[in-house]
Amino acid sequence: MKKAQILGAIIASFFLSFGLTEVFNPVVHADSNKEIIFWNPFTGPDGTSMQKLVNEYNKTNPEYKVKNVSLTEADMYSKIPTIVNSKKGIPDLQIVHVERIKDYVNNGLLDNYNPYLDDFSDINKSNYVPEAWNNGAYKGKRYGVPLDIHTTFMYYNKGLVKKYAPHALDDNIVTFDEIKAAGEKSQKDGITGLGLTWWKPNFLSLYDQLGGQLTKNGKNPSLNNQTSRKVLQIYKGLYDQKITSQDGQDPMQLFLTNKEVFFPEGIWMNNQIKESDVKYGVTNAAQLSDDPDKMVNWSSSHQFVLLKQPKRDKAKTEATLKFLSWVRTNSLEWAKAGQNPATLAITKDKEYQKMQQSFLLTDKTEQESLKIFNYQYNGYLADYLDRYAYDSVFGKTSISSYLNKLQNTVQDEVDAQMTD
Amino acid sequence: MVDISSKSGNVSTNRKKTWHLHGKSFPILYLLPHLIVFTIFFLIPLIFGIYIAFTKWDLVRTPVFVGWDNFKTLLFSHSIFHDQLTSGLWHTILFVLISVPFCILVPLLLAVVLNTKPIFAKFFQGLFYLPSLFSISAVVIVWSLIFNPNYGPLNTLFHLDQVWTGTQPWAWMTIVILTVWWTIGGNMIIYQAALNGIPQDYYEAADIDGASRWKKFIHITLPSIRGQLLFTIVTTTIAQFNIYGQPLMMTNGGPNGSTTVLMMNVQQNAFGSGQSLAGISSAMAVILGICITIVSMVQLFLLRNKD
Repeated sequence: MKKAQILGAIIASFFLSFGLTEVFNPVVHADSNKEIIFWNPFTGPDGTSMQKLVNEYNKTNPEYKVKNVSLTEADMYSKIPTIVNSKKGIPDLQIVHVERIKDYVNNGLLDNYNPYLDDFSDINKSNYVPEAWNNGAYKGKRYGVPLDIHTTFMYYNKGLVKKYAPHALDDNIVTFDEIKAAGEKSQKDGITGLGLTWWKPNFLSLYDQLGGQLTKNGKNPSLNNQTSRKVLQIYKGLYDQKITSQDGQDPMQLFLTNKEVFFPEGIWMNNQIKESDVKYGVTNAAQLSDDPDKMVNWSSSHQFVLLKQPKRDKAKTEATLKFLSWVRTNSLEWAKAGQNPATLAITKDKEYQKMQQSFLLTDKTEQESLKIFNYQYNGYLADYLDRYAYDSVFGKTSISSYLNKLQNTVQDEVDAQMTD
Repeated sequence: MVDISSKSGNVSTNRKKTWHLHGKSFPILYLLPHLIVFTIFFLIPLIFGIYIAFTKWDLVRTPVFVGWDNFKTLLFSHSIFHDQLTSGLWHTILFVLISVPFCILVPLLLAVVLNTKPIFAKFFQGLFYLPSLFSISAVVIVWSLIFNPNYGPLNTLFHLDQVWTGTQPWAWMTIVILTVWWTIGGNMIIYQAALNGIPQDYYEAADIDGASRWKKFIHITLPSIRGQLLFTIVTTTIAQFNIYGQPLMMTNGGPNGSTTVLMMNVQQNAFGSGQSLAGISSAMAVILGICITIVSMVQLFLLRNKD
């Protein structure tokens, strides 16, 4: 009897431990009746802004309240396929980067908004930044409603620009030639002309300015060509002349310590830079030409999507769209996080107009310069660019070897994909 | 009466058998929690992982069985996956070859020194063990600050201008140093326990024979802790074959992919930004698993106790 009791206790404690885990770490299930479970990758200061936004919405006493669930980006993206596949605990609303939508649709991970849009006439093209809106549709259906359009532009040190490039900002377009001229002067004083920051936006922006296309048939990559070679040559030329920050240097640190003239970075970094003592302004990303119509500013967009549900609850989905409709006219909190909301309504807001990043939306020409690189296999391209980054610019490999490997990697990965 | 006694005799025998069975099976029941966890979190994923290596799968749709295709691609094709396997495996082996001797010798040396009971022995024992308690992220943050080319103490103190993680062989050196520092504790504790178990008589006898410290170390200490050495060599080798966090966070696989180890390719192919290539990725992991098994068996064979 005693043995049986001990055995029972062991087994019970084992299963209880699993049960208690559930109690203390409850999985937020999407089937909670009157709650919209909203997953997003905002875990930093932008996560606080999103939580405030959700709280504000919940204060309006909607029938379905929104529950904000922030996950780290990598964790969230690895969970999405498995959770949709499991058909359990799927969130009612999800934020993904716009470049993921095509891939997700082709893999059957998303439901579209079309059956519900007739009842939400304000969620339409005329109310959103076109580039963000257009990329949320695929194969004639709407899969994404844009939250924002976030851009890599350029921060500049006011004092250093005055000293080394006094006329570069006259037209609010800083060309590579102007950067080079400024850098040649500034390097004599030990000041870096241009920070080499996140490679992907810098590469893609210049590639597009030179007329490069990531694909010609929508599937196979087109990455090893004269245009991409030219991009690398431009950056390598600047690097070799020590116009740019050097291998191992932290471009942000240089900028924050008044040792760098131009610093290309995302608009989302603004709140962090504001905390420093550096006196700075913002402008467009580095351009080849000073023609405003040829400007390209690399952008991406966080989009609200509906992950595929085995049985979609109509009432809850409509409640979800009510939330999106509310966000459209209440995005100021998101702008305070340093972002540019994708809704055009924000451009009328006085407080928003005073924000540094607002010029990208309030000016029509600027708005047209925002470019989302929505190649279906962007993920493979991004992985390569992020891993090998400036290796050819720093001279660790030749330009031809870099591009050859880039092309082959993306092509082989595309070919190895699972198809229907 | 006879029948009754005979029946009661049978009942008694059956009871004994039942309790006897309980007696034998009872320890197994104690293992049940472990066996359940082992089955759920190790055995089933292992079998499923091997199965996935023979499929094409994107983590969403039903896996499609493709036979040996993934292995043929990895081993014999001219694709990027073949390059990933060969270079990733080579970098992994290179790391194992460089790091394992240090991960064995440094803790052994420290354990021998601590075994002489120097002043503050316990303090130093704690100090050396401390890094083992840190997460890999914390360890990498500490060492990346030390090796930082702009404001790191190494360059500042010695007036150097070296980009440690951006050039070879320094990139490997940074990874090996932080790995050794991180993993000293575990092996050191094992060696200390083993050294404590060596009878002092051996050393006293050697002293009478006039043996030097070196001779005593070679002829008494090492043979006495042979079992522990074998154990740590095998486990350390297996652990270092699974290297992932150090190059990912310290060098991001660079410069030019020269510190990209196989586990990084396994992870990126399965959980990268594009559609998952879980089949290829799993096949890479299976090949790595086979390599680890072979190396461990060779080590066990070479270091077996011939007595």
